[in-house]
Amino acid sequence: MFDRMKLQVLANHARSAAENMAHTLQRTAHSAFVKETEDFTVMLLNRRGETFGVPMELGATWYPGLTYGRAIAMIEDYRPGDVAFTNDPYSGFVATHAPDTHLWKPVFHDGEIIAWTGGHIHNTDMGGAVPASLSRALTEIHQEGIRFPPMKLVREGVFDEQILRIMTTNVRKPDLNIGDIKALVGALNTGERKILAMVEKFGKTAFLDGVDALLDHAEAQARDILRAMPDGQWVFADYADEDSVAANPCRLKLTLTIKGDEAILDFTGSDPQLASSLNVPSGGDPRHTMLLVGVYYVLYTLNPKILLNTGLTRPFTCITPEGSVLNPTFPAAVGMRSLTCARLRSVIFGAFSQAVPERLPAAPAGNNCIVNVMTTDERNGNRIIAAVNPVVGGGGGMPHRDGTNGSGADAAYLKNTPIEITEMETPVEFVRYGLATDSGGAGRWRGGLATHMAFRVFSPDTRITARNRDRGFFRPWGVLGGRAAGLSDMVVNPGTPGEKRLGNIDTAVLQPGDVLDIRSAGGGGRGDPFAREAWRVAQDVARGYVSAAAAEREYGVIIRDGALDTAATERLRSGRPSPTGHFHFGPEREGYERQWTPAAYDVLMRTLDGLPIHWRFFAKTEIFSRMAGRSGADGVEAALEEVYARFPEMPRSKALIREAAE
Amino acid sequence: MDGGMGEADWKVGVDIGGTFIDFCALDTRSGRVASLKVLTTPDDPGAELMTGLSLLAEREGMDPRAVTRFVHGTTVGMNTVIQRKGAPLALLTNAGFEDVIELARLRMPDTYSLFCSRPDQLVARDMVFGIPARLRSDGTERQAPDMAAVADAVAALRAKGAVGVVVSFLHSWRDGGHETAVKEEIARLAPDLFVFTSAEVWPVIREYERTTTAILNAYVHPRISGYLSALEERLAGRAVPARPLLTKSNGGVMNAAEGKRACVHMLLSGAASGVNGAAWLARQAGEPRILTLDIGGTSADFALIIDGQAQFGVGEMIGEFPLHIPSVSVSSIGIGGGSIASVDGQGVLRVGPESAGSTPGPACYGRGGEWATVTDAMVVCGWLGHSQMAYGQLQMDAGLARAAVGRLADRLGRSLEATAQAILDVAVSEMFAEVEKMAARAGVDVRDFALMPFGGGGPMLGVFLARELGMPRVVAPRWPGVVSALGGLVADLRGDFVRTLFAELSPGLMPALREAFAAMGAEGRDWLAAQGHSGAAELLIVADMRYAGQSYEIETPLNPSWLDGDDPGAIADAFHAAHARLYDFDDPDGRIEIVNLRLSAIGSGPALHFPTAGEDDCAASAERTVPVYTGGAVTPVGLYRRADLQAGARFQGPAIVAQEDTTFAIPAGTDARVDAHLNLHLTFAE
Repeated sequence: MFDRMKLQVLANHARSAAENMAHTLQRTAHSAFVKETEDFTVMLLNRRGETFGVPMELGATWYPGLTYGRAIAMIEDYRPGDVAFTNDPYSGFVATHAPDTHLWKPVFHDGEIIAWTGGHIHNTDMGGAVPASLSRALTEIHQEGIRFPPMKLVREGVFDEQILRIMTTNVRKPDLNIGDIKALVGALNTGERKILAMVEKFGKTAFLDGVDALLDHAEAQARDILRAMPDGQWVFADYADEDSVAANPCRLKLTLTIKGDEAILDFTGSDPQLASSLNVPSGGDPRHTMLLVGVYYVLYTLNPKILLNTGLTRPFTCITPEGSVLNPTFPAAVGMRSLTCARLRSVIFGAFSQAVPERLPAAPAGNNCIVNVMTTDERNGNRIIAAVNPVVGGGGGMPHRDGTNGSGADAAYLKNTPIEITEMETPVEFVRYGLATDSGGAGRWRGGLATHMAFRVFSPDTRITARNRDRGFFRPWGVLGGRAAGLSDMVVNPGTPGEKRLGNIDTAVLQPGDVLDIRSAGGGGRGDPFAREAWRVAQDVARGYVSAAAAEREYGVIIRDGALDTAATERLRSGRPSPTGHFHFGPEREGYERQWTPAAYDVLMRTLDGLPIHWRFFAKTEIFSRMAGRSGADGVEAALEEVYARFPEMPRSKALIREAAE
Repeated sequence: MDGGMGEADWKVGVDIGGTFIDFCALDTRSGRVASLKVLTTPDDPGAELMTGLSLLAEREGMDPRAVTRFVHGTTVGMNTVIQRKGAPLALLTNAGFEDVIELARLRMPDTYSLFCSRPDQLVARDMVFGIPARLRSDGTERQAPDMAAVADAVAALRAKGAVGVVVSFLHSWRDGGHETAVKEEIARLAPDLFVFTSAEVWPVIREYERTTTAILNAYVHPRISGYLSALEERLAGRAVPARPLLTKSNGGVMNAAEGKRACVHMLLSGAASGVNGAAWLARQAGEPRILTLDIGGTSADFALIIDGQAQFGVGEMIGEFPLHIPSVSVSSIGIGGGSIASVDGQGVLRVGPESAGSTPGPACYGRGGEWATVTDAMVVCGWLGHSQMAYGQLQMDAGLARAAVGRLADRLGRSLEATAQAILDVAVSEMFAEVEKMAARAGVDVRDFALMPFGGGGPMLGVFLARELGMPRVVAPRWPGVVSALGGLVADLRGDFVRTLFAELSPGLMPALREAFAAMGAEGRDWLAAQGHSGAAELLIVADMRYAGQSYEIETPLNPSWLDGDDPGAIADAFHAAHARLYDFDDPDGRIEIVNLRLSAIGSGPALHFPTAGEDDCAASAERTVPVYTGGAVTPVGLYRRADLQAGARFQGPAIVAQEDTTFAIPAGTDARVDAHLNLHLTFAE
């Protein structure tokens, strides 16, 4: 048994080792994804491949609960100096889309594997149908780039040149990939050294016991948080704007059950797997780290001293029916799963918000849009593929302050690149980069503002991808009287005769002189906006965060000639009833749900669940295309009848067969 | 050297800390050294300085008229930022980019928390004015500044009470013309406003970093300027002939006229002076590689000294804001003597980040503190409490410490002493993690270093930390409490200059490199001349380089001879080597970019000789033994008075060394020796 009183000593050594790895990787990497956006992770893994240490200061926030066990087991005969890797989302469910290349290295002590070091980098491109390997339009994993199942990349300290050559042949920016992979190998070596130093300090047995104790400790902390919540069941659904080029919403539904110190997250009722790349490959693992990212945020927000490791996933059980968007079957495309993951987090936030309303914020903007440019540098003729700034929105209004502007909450790990650096390296010229007025949800505590970025290009057929753009229709929701936030948008040549709104399309082809204008959503508001101090609203107006018109409309605050009109404000504010209901979704979702009522979705999901997996998305799309003028359960049934009439080949849904039998 | 002959010639270093103002003075004629601590007077900054001069006159016979060097480090600038009492400012920047400081670099601290946030900016958004103007990245003009918009902005910002303006435009690192033109227009329209442009403060690429640095400069400018004018008057009133010199964040000094303009260069001078003093002491003691450890009540500061030199970095924090001029690299962690220990729901002990600070302070101070702190744990173990502390201003109450730690021991079901030891172990492991991280960033192995503890708390925990880190030795100065003041006393004049080049290293670039360094060298010499320096100038040149595509530069010192000719090979080799040293690999075929060129112009400070004593090996004798819980048992430990330890004295741990400003805790297995400079050298047996 490790002396629990001194567990923090071991925890500090583990964190220190992980942060050493992160610093080594970040500063030696070559690609913008790793060095600037910090889309990477490093971790310490126990003998079973479960994460027991992650850095707190650098890297992405999705992987403290990741377990490499399945991938580790797919290779035999590890030797000292070996490094294994995979980027295949369907081999071991470690990588969750092809650009994410995961590496792991055994740490030997006296000839025995006592731990592993691991981590991932997001490669700029892994080949496949489109630059950067990611597009919502892709429909099967084979289009998303070359995939390496778990195999050894380094054998006893020597890189496998064949693998590197295969990768070099198949990807668009091989230098970046290989530079980053080598940087990650350097980080794994650093971690190995640090683990061996810990073994030396604490002794092998104490180290192994201590690592187990770290996981047990995180588990106990997570259970404490759950125990402090009321027992109960809460249902929440949220939507991604579009499920594919078919452009129907993709719904995620969560039934959260908290009982004592455990929680069940049942995602039954979420959409079937999609014929687009928005699927989240969880493999049905009830504690897959991607399913629990929202939970990490909730736990950490409620107890910032919680240890982040696999132990905190133990009290949680996720249910993701096979063939659903959260547990797709091979060969469903998964490249853009991060868009769905953002919705997944907001579904979890919404469910927990009902369980402990006084302790959590409103919805964050939830569209972590990464903008890539492929163009020609007219100064030298070079082809350039570059990531421009992420366009993310604000955090949701908090119980004690406004949401943060331009970023925050579950997007706070993203970094931007200075305009001056981007303009030096990439032939684009920024027109604006700032915050969007009136984009934060109104509330006692206002939601954070959206980011608004526009830039001009100079070369013909410049291709833009704006991945993960969402919230162009379904707004980030407000809570406890707070209002939903502003929507995201993308426009070519705004304010000109050639203006073209792209809606939710995530790609564009620009010609010389064209300007692309991208706006994120904002964060949702929290609490009654009429309860916000008038001086705060006036300050928001002075700062350009809120327009005078919105101040009057949303907050009941009158600003005349830049000054607060106290008397008029009091008149306007008095007598207004307090808002009711936990959530405010905005007119778009309210309108949508008048047609697509909970009962309508029940019929739809029952029907789709009764079909073979490869028919479900087709059936969903066909039903949606016949819903004009229809609504509710009856509407769905009528549409379904039409679909069967048009496609007699479609198998009878088991749900219908059962109903008929009853 | 015998004292008392001829006229005195005093050199004085003064450093203001949180609680005390420290003096370190040397009479170069007699070799007399004086040190002093005086409580600060936050309400009247500068008054304590005069008190100190009076006390030095009374106690040490220091005639103010004999002070020929007066070096001052002040926290006025830092406090202005932390307390947010700086000048109301406006920012003029390109229209469309008004949120440059709010967006910053987007990423926030504490990324796992839904409550993470950025600090409120020093210039609120309603004081930011977008001016239609745009320079392209190649330096050509897309749009000249709209002076009508400038006039509107000036009218509005005056109406809103701004007293100063920062002008920062995109790509001014390449051409500051737009900024200068707008500055001139503001001066024409409103001569009473002070104006700083981003390029004049620090003309480096990256708009947020450059802008925020200029804002910090302007924000503290009126207060620092006023403080320095008052200081000059006060010193003149005492007939001090020396013109004051100010310590800088780069470890050097500058004169007051420069300090009033380039305020931002002194914001981190306190920590920098400490490292500078430590570096000087390390050179005296013949120690090339030092890890400094300065522990106060709420935090611990660490820095590396390599080859006797402080290390530099950018991005150090001023309160909540990063500063992007080169500063002595100091890492900080919120663990100090006042850090509070607690037990969580699962029986795991934690230390910090909460702190009892100086009020109420640790329980043992008897000022109403009830929480068990690191200092209380030291008392319970028996390391502290055997003598007066802080020049007799503190008395330890061991009973209160035992009561506070006892409450945790009860919860843990462990003995009082074991609990106290665990508190120390956890505190040390927190520092361990911070040092390891710093070492990882710097690419060094701290086992090649000796630890130099200073400040009030450094000697308490320093030896434990050194052992945790696997360091072989500890070297402690005679007066750990005034190392920062000493650092100022011995500092060189040092001016830093930067130019962003952002170009690929190639034979064709060599003429441009030579030209740039020649121009910067001339600038540096002019700067030294303006500081009144007449001796030789040392010019250090550095290139911030990276492989094309990387986003972080490595500062690579260049030998001037490498600039000759058309072959950049030597420069490239130096970069590859630096990259390999820092990051374990290099890419000999990789393209190299030079982002910034930097030059430091250095005018040597006075060559000061502190007295030394002959080292006659002798066994020191303990005043008495006291019981201390160490190594899992209560052991009799020798208590030594620092004042009694003469050069050459030797003794062995476990031991306690008490002195007026601190106490050393020295565990078993340690050999201690006092050198000719009265430094204490601790060597570990294993």
